[in-house]
Amino acid sequence: MDEQTTDVIQGTLDMLILKTLSLEPMHGFGIARRIEQISRGVFKVNPGSLLTAFQRLERAGLLDAEWRQTENSRRAKFYALTRSGRKQLDVETADWARRATAVARLLRAEG
Amino acid sequence: MSLWRQLARGMRALTHRAAAERDVADEVGHYVEQATAANVARGLPPDEARRAALLEIGNVTRVREQVGGAGWEAAVESFVADLRYAGRMLRKSPVFSMVTILVVSLGTGAVTTIFSATNAMLLRPLPGAHDARRLYSIDRKHTNGNEGMTASYPYYVWIRDHSRSFDGIVAWNDMPITISVAGAGAAAYGNIVTGNYFGVLGVKPELGRFFAPDEDQTPLTHPVMVISDAFWRTKFGADSTIIGRAVLVNGHQFTIIGVVPPSFRSVYIPLKSDAWIPVMMESQVRPGHSLTDPSDISLRLFARLKDGVSTGAARQEATALTASWIEAGSETMPWAKKYSVARLVPLSGLPEDATKAITGFFFLLLGASALVLLIASVNVAAMLSARAVARRREMAVRAALGAGRGRLVRQLLTESLVLFALGAMGGIAVAIFATRALERLPLPDEISLDLAPDYRAIGFALVVTLVTGIVFGLAPALQGARTDISKRIREDAAASGVRRTAMGNLLIVGQLSLSLLLLVAAGLFLRALDRGNRIDPGFESTGVSVATLNTESWGYDSAKAREFYRALRERIKGEHGVASVALAGVTPLTAQDNGVSIYRDQSGGAESVHATESRMRSGMAAVDADYFTTLRIPIVRGRSITASDDDRSERVAVINETFAHTLWPDGGAVGSTFTYDSNRVTVVGVARDSKYVWLTEAKTPFVYFPLAQQWAPRQYLLVRSSVPAAPTAIAIQRAVQAIDRGLPAPLVTTLREANSVVLLPQRVAAIVTGALGLIGLVMATVGLYGIISFSVNRRGREIGIRIALGARRSDVLRMVVREGMRLAAFGVAIGVLLAAAATRLLASFLFNVSPLDVLTFAAMSALFLGIAFFSSYFPARRAAASDPMVALRTD
Repeated sequence: MDEQTTDVIQGTLDMLILKTLSLEPMHGFGIARRIEQISRGVFKVNPGSLLTAFQRLERAGLLDAEWRQTENSRRAKFYALTRSGRKQLDVETADWARRATAVARLLRAEG
Repeated sequence: MSLWRQLARGMRALTHRAAAERDVADEVGHYVEQATAANVARGLPPDEARRAALLEIGNVTRVREQVGGAGWEAAVESFVADLRYAGRMLRKSPVFSMVTILVVSLGTGAVTTIFSATNAMLLRPLPGAHDARRLYSIDRKHTNGNEGMTASYPYYVWIRDHSRSFDGIVAWNDMPITISVAGAGAAAYGNIVTGNYFGVLGVKPELGRFFAPDEDQTPLTHPVMVISDAFWRTKFGADSTIIGRAVLVNGHQFTIIGVVPPSFRSVYIPLKSDAWIPVMMESQVRPGHSLTDPSDISLRLFARLKDGVSTGAARQEATALTASWIEAGSETMPWAKKYSVARLVPLSGLPEDATKAITGFFFLLLGASALVLLIASVNVAAMLSARAVARRREMAVRAALGAGRGRLVRQLLTESLVLFALGAMGGIAVAIFATRALERLPLPDEISLDLAPDYRAIGFALVVTLVTGIVFGLAPALQGARTDISKRIREDAAASGVRRTAMGNLLIVGQLSLSLLLLVAAGLFLRALDRGNRIDPGFESTGVSVATLNTESWGYDSAKAREFYRALRERIKGEHGVASVALAGVTPLTAQDNGVSIYRDQSGGAESVHATESRMRSGMAAVDADYFTTLRIPIVRGRSITASDDDRSERVAVINETFAHTLWPDGGAVGSTFTYDSNRVTVVGVARDSKYVWLTEAKTPFVYFPLAQQWAPRQYLLVRSSVPAAPTAIAIQRAVQAIDRGLPAPLVTTLREANSVVLLPQRVAAIVTGALGLIGLVMATVGLYGIISFSVNRRGREIGIRIALGARRSDVLRMVVREGMRLAAFGVAIGVLLAAAATRLLASFLFNVSPLDVLTFAAMSALFLGIAFFSSYFPARRAAASDPMVALRTD
């Protein structure tokens, strides 16, 4: 599952989605809103990239998807984390922490 | 798991496309709705909220496409769309498509035909056998490494019983036989085989069974036989109750026990095989042969190598066994003791000695056909790139609508590949027809070819076309997909035209030179055929008919056979128009090599000469008294063979001049003696040298023995007659059947026809290179015509100005023709250089026609220049006839 780790932005998006879903199953807009809220608006998620990422993560077996009926009888797709998704989140979190620390250390040294 | 999920989801998206699209649409719709609701919650009015949400998400369609285009199935979808689009484009310009497909068909057809023939003769493992890669023939060789010898049955048993390297060893040979059903005899080709033959090959019966172990134990107790599928169909109408039927083989009753499936033909695939008979029955169908005599060497061996045993180890073991066989004193013939080496050669379906000769020849043809494919591909590339120019507007529009460069290249490449794929189909069809035509070449009767493309040849055609399609389709695709629109518009005026023409010119020159190379080769082969036909063979073949007779295949014993031949000769001598009749053991100049060892007699006794130094190889034929008159070979000294030279009289021989010179350089050959086969033989005459085996042979020693002293059941009846060949053939066949009504009608041809087999390589090569060269020439001509037409169109304005300024039409004509001729001259010059470098590879097939034969080179160059003249003359005349006002008004 190392196919997205090279691209930083995409890698981050995947990780953020996984992290958000680790709390509870959610639909697409909910995830976007949650990412915006928690990052205090630093991250603005592009819906196209987000929905594409869902499909990719679902195909990779990290997410489970389920169609539910909404109050006004529309179909909504809800995503939940699978077991390998949880594992992947741990891996990516650790990886991210390691990199972030390294980058921070480098920046301090430069300054 | 994940891969599986990828596949499953992708497949679902492909097969349920509408549902997949609805899912994406619903998800995007729900997103918009939620965003709107959130905006409303923030206090915006509903329509304002919705607009804000849409603004945030951007172009909804684009998002949908982005999500829908993320999986691998999207690539498949776009490929299918490309295919559909390609199909539409090809239908839109049917002439272009047809011509391209035709050109590709001819190119792949040529190369597939030759590959298919090469594959059938040389490459594929023995057809019909199970796991043929482990089958090896075991050849017993002289210690000098060249000459081989066949095996006797006792030798076979020794090897079979002592070796541990093989899962079964088989002994076999072939012979013409006569199978009589209900009183009518049919000539057939039989195989004498040990009982394990089919088991070791791994062939299963189509009907009935093959030989049981007890049928391979005791001589003359089990007269059973197996027949081929073809024989079963043609002679028995595929009668399913054939098993248990009794037929006569060479006059003896045999029971049919099984039918061989059509997939298996023979151990030597070109050899016809109609029936298989156990070796234990050999002495019945072939009187005089023995299973206990080690000097009766008529068998060939092959074996299946055990799993895990290397060929090296098996060869060592077989050689050791051969050595111990000789040491044990089992070999009774002194000369055979030198043949102590065993060799293992893959059982490829050809006799070992034939393989080498055929390989070089086929690779030559393969090279020639590859040239045609190259010409065809270059041609198609030129056409594609011309079309790319014509489609610039379309490409520009597609680029403007957002198609990326990669997408356009993929589209154009798909179109090329569709063309090439259709061309591959055509090529396979061409190969099927062409191999059928090759199978009908005049070949010796016992040979039949099956050259039809099998799955390997078809796979080869597909791979070759795919690769050429990509290689030659890529450049035009890249060229066509250049999307820098503004630059292109600027280029349109002048530069690109010049560059395109330069590229086109290069391609045309290349095509012309390659086709010239092929036609020069064809011309050389034709010259060689002509030269070969005019080489004086040293005998007169015109007016002579040859009948092939074999009393052994009718079950005759020696006395009955001699009586038959005497009666036949009398009968035919009485026929109208017959000048003379002769019998001989060999027909001259039919590629039959019949060498023997002669030992010089040390009558002088002055010096002792080692036995090997006194030995000489010589060609040999047993002939009767009328042989020399029938073939008009002059006797230069001494006398001819006479009817009184029979088995009761002194052993005599007529030798040829080379023989006489070699052994008696100072003359005095007549009356001298030599030793052959432990007999002292007296030379009674010297005949003039002639050709014996091949036209290319050097002068070789040759000896004629009287037929009565060198008896063999297989004879050629030579009849010189003033009557045409067809009635003579019928007269001979009638005479044979008048003597014994049950006999099959013998095969009769003319001696000229029989001799033509030695020119077969030249004939095949001339036909193949000629056909390939003509295809190449046609393509190059069309290409040249196209490029000159293109150039005339492009320069229409310039030509108009010239005419308006007073240029005469003849000036214009000359100018355009000169342009075409310049290209042709370049092509011819390069082609001549290429041919001069390449034709020396053909030297061994050319009968001393020089590989640089001036006549051929000049004639072919002139032909090319002439054709080039006409293909530029017509566009030139069109240009010269153009109205300057029309030309000036265009653009």
